[in-house]
Amino acid sequence: MSGIRLYDYELSVNCYKQRLLLSILGLDYERVPVDFFPGREHQGDTFRRINPLGHIPVLDDNGYVVWDATAISIYLATGYDDSGRWYPVADPRRLGRVASWMAFAEGTTNTASAARLHDTLGYDFDIDACRRGARDLFRHLDRHLWLGELEGRRWLVDGDHPTIADLAVFPDAMLAPQGGVSLTPYPAIRRWTDRVKDIPGFVVMAGIYPH
Amino acid sequence: MNLPPVDYAANRGWYPVAASADAVAGHVVAGRLWGSDLVIWRDDNGAVNVWPDRCLHRGVRLSLGTNTGTELVCRYHGWRYATVAGSCTYIPAHPDNAPAQSMCTSTLPVHEYAGLVWTTLDGAPGSVAVGTSPEPFPVEHDVNDHAGSAAVPLWAMTVNVGTGTLEVELDGLRKALTKLVGAEVAVVLQPVDPDAVVVRPLAVGEAAPAVDVSALDAAAELLSAFARRIESGAGANGDYDGNSRRSATEARGYGQVSPHGRTVSTGLLDVEVVAKWETADGIVAFEFLPVEGAPPLPAVQPGAHIDVHMTADLLRPYSLTNGPGDTAYRIGVKREPDSRGGSAAMHDFVTVGDRLTISHPRNTFPLRRDADHTLLIAGGIGVTPLLAMAQTLAATGAGFELHYFVRGPGHVAFADVIQTLGPHAVVHHGLDPAGTGEELASLLAEPGFGRQVYACGPGPMLDAIRATARSAGWPDDTVHFEYFQNPNDLDLDSTFEIALSRTARTFTVPAGETILDVLRTNGVAVEASCEQGACGTCVVPLLDGRADHQDVYLSDTQKATQDRIAVCVSRAETERLVLEL
Repeated sequence: MSGIRLYDYELSVNCYKQRLLLSILGLDYERVPVDFFPGREHQGDTFRRINPLGHIPVLDDNGYVVWDATAISIYLATGYDDSGRWYPVADPRRLGRVASWMAFAEGTTNTASAARLHDTLGYDFDIDACRRGARDLFRHLDRHLWLGELEGRRWLVDGDHPTIADLAVFPDAMLAPQGGVSLTPYPAIRRWTDRVKDIPGFVVMAGIYPH
Repeated sequence: MNLPPVDYAANRGWYPVAASADAVAGHVVAGRLWGSDLVIWRDDNGAVNVWPDRCLHRGVRLSLGTNTGTELVCRYHGWRYATVAGSCTYIPAHPDNAPAQSMCTSTLPVHEYAGLVWTTLDGAPGSVAVGTSPEPFPVEHDVNDHAGSAAVPLWAMTVNVGTGTLEVELDGLRKALTKLVGAEVAVVLQPVDPDAVVVRPLAVGEAAPAVDVSALDAAAELLSAFARRIESGAGANGDYDGNSRRSATEARGYGQVSPHGRTVSTGLLDVEVVAKWETADGIVAFEFLPVEGAPPLPAVQPGAHIDVHMTADLLRPYSLTNGPGDTAYRIGVKREPDSRGGSAAMHDFVTVGDRLTISHPRNTFPLRRDADHTLLIAGGIGVTPLLAMAQTLAATGAGFELHYFVRGPGHVAFADVIQTLGPHAVVHHGLDPAGTGEELASLLAEPGFGRQVYACGPGPMLDAIRATARSAGWPDDTVHFEYFQNPNDLDLDSTFEIALSRTARTFTVPAGETILDVLRTNGVAVEASCEQGACGTCVVPLLDGRADHQDVYLSDTQKATQDRIAVCVSRAETERLVLEL
């Protein structure tokens, strides 16, 4: 089997981030469904031979296997985007910002999206701590985006083109209401998610509607 | 500056629900006030709507929907709601039906002032005069001394007050912000839940204060720190959870929301003539707005008409030419040479500033919006409903053509609107009946899947379209007509019985009287308008018996189905008809 394969679960935010990037970059790929829930296939022995950590997503590009959402996004954006706009390796200052917001996305995944796993799939997390953490992060995000609009910045990182950081934070924000975290207090986040939805190649997932 | 105490026991007065800059074109804002979720959106004319955040159909949040610039479209089943009036204008699952006027969301009063969008849940009048402040203004009065533009909203933030004491802290916050941004700062509060409030600082001044971005950033940081301090004292129950909390306001019922947009009746509207102009030879156009103090006019569906009440017993139907998003009504009136008083009175006596009584808009010529291509064919003054349709289709980017047959260039009404349709509109001048017939034959040559035809004009032209479309193979439910009048000679000679299924009453309709006459005589209310079988207003369900259809409203297929009847002209072929009344 040649080409790109994505070990994927429809309802996973981290898998969706890769589907979004693959679609925006116009790449053909094969989806390999993993029975994340209720089968917990990603924790099984077979899947651990693909990713020893037992996490999805995993990308297999002609036999080269890379796991972790951030790692896959960096690999795709560096290897398949000739314009270098999605992951600006030639611009250290912007690249540093992208890395910071990728770390921010780890935070929203571990709070807002964890709350969602708690509420929708019954995961045993400290739900109050997850929601509190998510609100702290969204408050900061709203402020960053609000100020950005005043400065003419449309995306998380300065520059006139979105980066993989936008795609990394976007699904955690969009699906936060499924974890009991309302987006009503963050109007600037809502405007930014509308802009992300307008990116050519944007695709939806369950719970994320078109603009 | 002293702030009034945050009074959670009452929800009176005007409160901000968003920054004006939050409500940008093409965008939908979710807001919350006193436990009620609100949807806030700006139309392409700049008007802001504040409605309860739920679709009338299935209760889904309208804030998930799409702002088309003139309508808000629910994400779930595509119900479309008109700006300002809040009426449902289209239901995709029923493309052939006109939504009832009673399908209208509550619309809350809106006022933009000091860079914020304000509303009230008190059921106050629909608007506040521009340039005045909403009362009571929940900050000290000197903010009111400044014009609306002289305030710059800083970053606003929801603070979970919990059981903390916000009032004590706010003055310190205000002073610190004033020092930071170098301009007087007022703090406006938006209560969202019993334990949460949006803190909205405003920089105010004689002119709008210039605040640089670094100061705005510093002010935002200060506000964040303020919130952290308040919330750390608020304990674990201080979390804001807009999704699941049942607030005191909710417990009192959603009916707290101002219902002034819901006063839907089939009664009459008082309007003022705000413009009158000659739009073509012998055709005068009028524009109407509600009289001062009255709520906005109900939204217009394409194809709808109003009855203008000339005198107590003289009313005339006129189609509305409105495009989507229009909040004034526009009609065109052709002077009829044998006018019995309607068109002549409109031409000669009605002037700008006059008040007229009109009916609510009624739509007996509804436009499907799911066609791949729509052919609009107008003859003379029959262009008016088709202009409304053309503008609706143009706004959605649907494929359509408007063919407008007129006697000569001077007879083109609403040329300015025609102009905006660009290549979609074709005007045919001065064709004789034979030439018109040839043109119609070529227009109607290709029936096809997903194609619809709408025609309005003189009777002979519509008859020609009906015959041409039939011979070209158009299914008759794809060709829609609006007649000015019924050209048929009516036959009122039969005598028969009608039975009313709901009220279990039976009457005899004698020769010379109509079903409608008999119903009225016996106190059965049926809405009717033209009373000559042209407009379709009086069509009622027919449960049993065969009707002798004499109207020109129902299609041949509808007539053959024998499941409805226009009671103003049609009669019975059988001895008895059962009507669902």
